[in-house]
Amino acid sequence: MKIKLLTILGMGIIAVTSCTKYPPSSGRVTQDLVVYTQYDVTVNFNEYKTFSLPNTVVYIDGKDTSTLNNANATVLLNRIAANMKTRGFEQIANTAKPDLGVNVTAIKTTTTTVYSPGWYYGYPGYYPWGYPGYGYPYYPAYVTSYSAGSVIIDLVDLKKVVNNTVMVRWNAFIRGLMTNTHTQADITNSVDQAFTQTPVLKTTL
Amino acid sequence: MISGLMHGLVKSQDKPSSMGFIPSSYYTFSWNTTFTLGDFNKWVGNASPAGFDLGGRYFIKGGLVAGFNMSWQRVSQIYTNETFSLPATGQAITATNYRFTWMVPFQAVIAYHLMPDKMVSPYIGLGIGGDYMEHHLLVEEYDIYKTRWDFSLTPEIGALIKLGYYSQWGALVAFNYKWTTNQIDLYKDKSSKNLQMLNLKVGIAYIIR
Repeated sequence: MKIKLLTILGMGIIAVTSCTKYPPSSGRVTQDLVVYTQYDVTVNFNEYKTFSLPNTVVYIDGKDTSTLNNANATVLLNRIAANMKTRGFEQIANTAKPDLGVNVTAIKTTTTTVYSPGWYYGYPGYYPWGYPGYGYPYYPAYVTSYSAGSVIIDLVDLKKVVNNTVMVRWNAFIRGLMTNTHTQADITNSVDQAFTQTPVLKTTL
Repeated sequence: MISGLMHGLVKSQDKPSSMGFIPSSYYTFSWNTTFTLGDFNKWVGNASPAGFDLGGRYFIKGGLVAGFNMSWQRVSQIYTNETFSLPATGQAITATNYRFTWMVPFQAVIAYHLMPDKMVSPYIGLGIGGDYMEHHLLVEEYDIYKTRWDFSLTPEIGALIKLGYYSQWGALVAFNYKWTTNQIDLYKDKSSKNLQMLNLKVGIAYIIR
């Protein structure tokens, strides 16, 4: 009898310890944050001294485009500005001819499957704020889908406009950030991480 | 006198001079805890109690036994905010990594029991065989994985403990070091070769006389 009990107990221990502790993929998508960055390796960021930042975040929900003005958007924009200043860039008005323009977009939809380069054009409703054109000078990694609340931060080169097209020199893609499951601390930490993993993004005045 | 002889017989059955018997074979079912080593430890650092082992041993001559082992083991660990960079292309990604490897080892075993007739019978042995392994890296909904077969060697020390002088049930405690030709190469600039681990096995044994 004792042996049977021990055997059953042993089986139970094995069954319990063998169970996976990982959340399902749907849970990982909504809970985890992914910070992806890429910069133009041909560019010396020391050539750029100033930047401008919009007051709002472009918000795309399906085919509808609007702007975000809430507290999360403010935290997001302020943190980007703080990091840029820490890296030596000076913030000036959009009308004062900055070297770099910052474009910040939040995307709600989950269904789009897109590939770079050129995926901005393929995404309904997405246009950079007032630039004549938009280009990618490098080969970015595949981006296969957007999850809810993804944030895209682009640094576009306003100093060297080629053929009426501005080029993206740095791009950050923070997946899942603007969902309701994440806090403002998550926003701050994610933006910080995007800059941390791009040590070359700095200048000296 | 007859009563005295019978009493002596009963006594000798209770505690024979050999304090046990040499089995003809025994089968084991053990709970296996894995401790990764070296490069394998860099992949998953946690010790893992998720594993079990089935074994059979057949006494050939004296304390010399031959047999087999089949197991199932799983090691896993979550790494939050793991950054992976490709400086040449200017790319970097930070994400939570869910890493796990599960293994199905199968080995032929040869071992020598130092005191095969005792209640506690220690042994030294060597397993030779192979493993089927799957190495998984989960990032959000992506599951990046590779499957690999390997060759493995497993020196082991342990003891078979009889639960009674004439009981067919016993316990097994064993500790082994395992060396394999398996590797993990899910990252371009981070590869692991010759995965190694320690295993602690605690289980039950069914002993056949």
